[in-house]
Amino acid sequence: MKPTVRPSFVRAWPCIASDFSTFFLRLPPPPLAHARNIAQIRHRRIHSSLSPPPPPPLLASSPPSVPPPLFLRPPKYTTTVADLLEWHSWAKSLAASVGSSFEDSDNGPDSRLLCRELNWLMEDVLDGFDPSLMHKAVARDDPDVIVSSRADVQELYRLWKQRIEERRPFQYIVGCEHWRDLILCVREGVLIPRPETEIIVDLVGDVISKDQGLREGLWADLGTGSGAIAIGIAKILGDYGSVIATDLSPVAIQVASFNVERYSLQEKIEVREGSWLDPLKGVEGKVAGLVSNPPYIPSDDIGGLQAEVGRHEPRLALDGGAEGMDDLLHLCNGAASMLKPGSFFAFETNGEKQCKFLVDYMQNQLPGSFCNVNTASDFAGTQRFVTGFRNG
Amino acid sequence: MRNMSATFLRRSRTGYSSHSPNWASRAFSIRSLFGFAAPSESRLEVPESSRFRGSDGSGFVAGPRSRVGASWVRRLEETLGRSGCPARFGGFRPFATRAAVEPATSDGLTVEGIISNQWTILDESEGDWKSHAAAIAQSISLIKRRLQWKNLLVRLELLSRQLDKPYLWDDPQHAGKISREHGTLMVKMKEVMEFEQELLEHIDMIKLAREENDADLESESLKALLRMRRFSKEKELEALLAGEHDSCSCFIEVQAGAGGTESMDWAAMVMNMYKTWAQRRGYGVTVVDEMSGEIAGIKRATIKVDGEYAFGYAKAEVGVHRLVRISPFDSNKRRHTSFAAVAVIPILGGGFSHVQINESDLRIERFRAGGAGGQHVNTTESAVRIVHIPTGVTATCQNERSQHQNKASAMAVLQSRLDRLEMARQAQMNAQHTQSLTEISWGNQIRSYVLHPYRMVKDLRTNYEVSDPDSVLEGDLDGFIWSYLSDLMDKDEASP
Ligand SMILES: C[S@@+](CC[C@H](N)C(=O)[O-])C[C@H]1O[C@@H](n2cnc3c(N)ncnc32)[C@H](O)[C@@H]1O
Repeated sequence: MKPTVRPSFVRAWPCIASDFSTFFLRLPPPPLAHARNIAQIRHRRIHSSLSPPPPPPLLASSPPSVPPPLFLRPPKYTTTVADLLEWHSWAKSLAASVGSSFEDSDNGPDSRLLCRELNWLMEDVLDGFDPSLMHKAVARDDPDVIVSSRADVQELYRLWKQRIEERRPFQYIVGCEHWRDLILCVREGVLIPRPETEIIVDLVGDVISKDQGLREGLWADLGTGSGAIAIGIAKILGDYGSVIATDLSPVAIQVASFNVERYSLQEKIEVREGSWLDPLKGVEGKVAGLVSNPPYIPSDDIGGLQAEVGRHEPRLALDGGAEGMDDLLHLCNGAASMLKPGSFFAFETNGEKQCKFLVDYMQNQLPGSFCNVNTASDFAGTQRFVTGFRNG
Repeated sequence: MRNMSATFLRRSRTGYSSHSPNWASRAFSIRSLFGFAAPSESRLEVPESSRFRGSDGSGFVAGPRSRVGASWVRRLEETLGRSGCPARFGGFRPFATRAAVEPATSDGLTVEGIISNQWTILDESEGDWKSHAAAIAQSISLIKRRLQWKNLLVRLELLSRQLDKPYLWDDPQHAGKISREHGTLMVKMKEVMEFEQELLEHIDMIKLAREENDADLESESLKALLRMRRFSKEKELEALLAGEHDSCSCFIEVQAGAGGTESMDWAAMVMNMYKTWAQRRGYGVTVVDEMSGEIAGIKRATIKVDGEYAFGYAKAEVGVHRLVRISPFDSNKRRHTSFAAVAVIPILGGGFSHVQINESDLRIERFRAGGAGGQHVNTTESAVRIVHIPTGVTATCQNERSQHQNKASAMAVLQSRLDRLEMARQAQMNAQHTQSLTEISWGNQIRSYVLHPYRMVKDLRTNYEVSDPDSVLEGDLDGFIWSYLSDLMDKDEASP
């Protein structure tokens, strides 16, 4: 699919608006695989620097500079295979030097994983250029082959340094995360969606395959972050139903809106800003399904998190209060008033302990509200989700 | 001009193409006219109706005075039957019956007849038509043997009878299967019959030309025979790929034997050899699963090779591959012997009914499940392993960027493994267990790659050998594959 750039992009990535939109909107994607195109590239560069940049939108919450996701940038740079390889082997040895030290200290990535990330980085940076072709160019002793790329080599050095030395998450480096069959744009300020959470969409899929009424209904994803769950659900709803996606964080709202538009789902997903159930005012008792992956890490555990998470991801997305249950309990208490009879809910939790607590809480503290309350496991075998139906 | 030669006829067909350029150029390229399409071309893609549209009478007209030409057209028409008819309206039985009748020249010479004449087969450059004809006849006979022609006839008859049953389409799925198999079989057989027909036409033509002292016609027919003779060699090879699943895409799996880094490096070299081999053949290659060694190489890896006949070729590689060299990982520069096992699994296409997998029979696991998971962890590791509990068969994928896609890829591998198990089970029941299905044991060495003290690659099954290991390791495998496949067939032929 070909994403279109709309105003929400400018909001989600404010300070690159001028440069990026100039390239992205006015020029067809230039396939610059050969040296003879260089003159053209120069011309384009000059052209872009001459066009007056629109005034940057003033959004207090936006960080000062957010480059767009790598894979969405135009391939406006060219580099020789030799330079790229030099960077690559530097990056590889930096990754190798990590060994298992991150893993040992906080369960972070080992060098094998980092090397795989490096390949993916190449994939995103090179413009339709198969990395194995690089090695062929080398094998043919042809290091001067010129390839076009979405970042210049200097930036690649900087990015990989951040990855290793600052433990900046790979997904922030490339600006996206592959999640289910989606490529979701992410940046600092929004939680990187986790593989475990993919299962929430499967759980919804099971339910709607058995109940057309639910498929045609209104769904809510509370604390949507990048919009992952909401988009996943909207896609499996197909031609039916619709989704409201909410978040308290303005950055999340921007990023979610951007992702929704990239998948052309604006008609199906409404993104609303506000705290938990507040944005659902007006649809009380009408919701056919409510899902959420709220912050659930106990406050005391935040300090000991893996560096990629603790140092870089937003605390608002992680910290669930003393027991980690503040937001989950808040949602349980409020859910009944939003859900219509027979409707479905699913919450992600920190694991078995929280799951058990919630099941117990719903059965004993909220008697008569829900039925078929159950837990479901993630692929690692951890009890991760609580699901059930509104009585009716 | 007295008579229109077959060559000329072909030209006039091409001429007709100006009216309907699409089908004509596709259906009557020399290659498709001369039989099997190349492995890279889709041989079933050409729709029946367009492929033979030329024979419906409205297309080309041979001309009233072209005696031989006219009979050629008539016979072709007969041979091809009413190919445009959908299966349910019948029209196949005559084909099945005709297929059993041996075609002959106007004076009764058949392919078997040519062979029993024992005409000397001279070099191609010796322009003797009898020599060409004898060589082609031998090829045809070899091709028929390789295709197990008699079995095909029996099968065709059986399928035709089923298609004639009045209530066949009450069970559309079954009917679809029957009519698909029937169609495939027809295409396969027609190609050989056309080729045979063509040979006899040219012989007729040469005799006629001699009678009438037409030197041009004679030399043209002679050239046509030579061309057929060259094609027939290729067709002999292609007939080796007539197995039920040969045309499928496949997975290739490589596993390192015991021996640490050196053998893991060897496994990686073997995998690389297949990747380049497949790429050179124009196949799509994707890494499905790869477990790398600690220092170098791979412990195990699976690639998916996408394209026609990938399985047919790759099945020749099943077994254990042995390397002898001075190990670069040995500081004492000693000679090492290492092993890598190769398995090949066909990815069965539409006509095959896959093993039904029950969601509840599966256990899906994520690798490196250590730690609290969820929001606690940011990892790009999303490898998935699926265990099929009733059989214990597992599949893993860790090469995709999302867990969802890893799961989808692993499911595809699992499906193929279960299908293979089922095939093996059925094959055993039919006592037709084929080479490709034997489980690989480390004793099952098929090929030896020696880099030191001398340089050679030798296939232990066929004794085919090459003195340039580098080219082989760079994917130059076709010689090994062809020699193995022909050996295999010849053995089959020897013991029917
Ligand atoms: C663990 S993240 C989940 C994000 C996304 N749903 C996912 O699964 O990737 C929790 C989200 O809840 C949002 N959040 C935190 N407090 C909130 C509140 N009071 N109201 C609404 N959303 C809130 C955070 O901004 C964050 O995006």
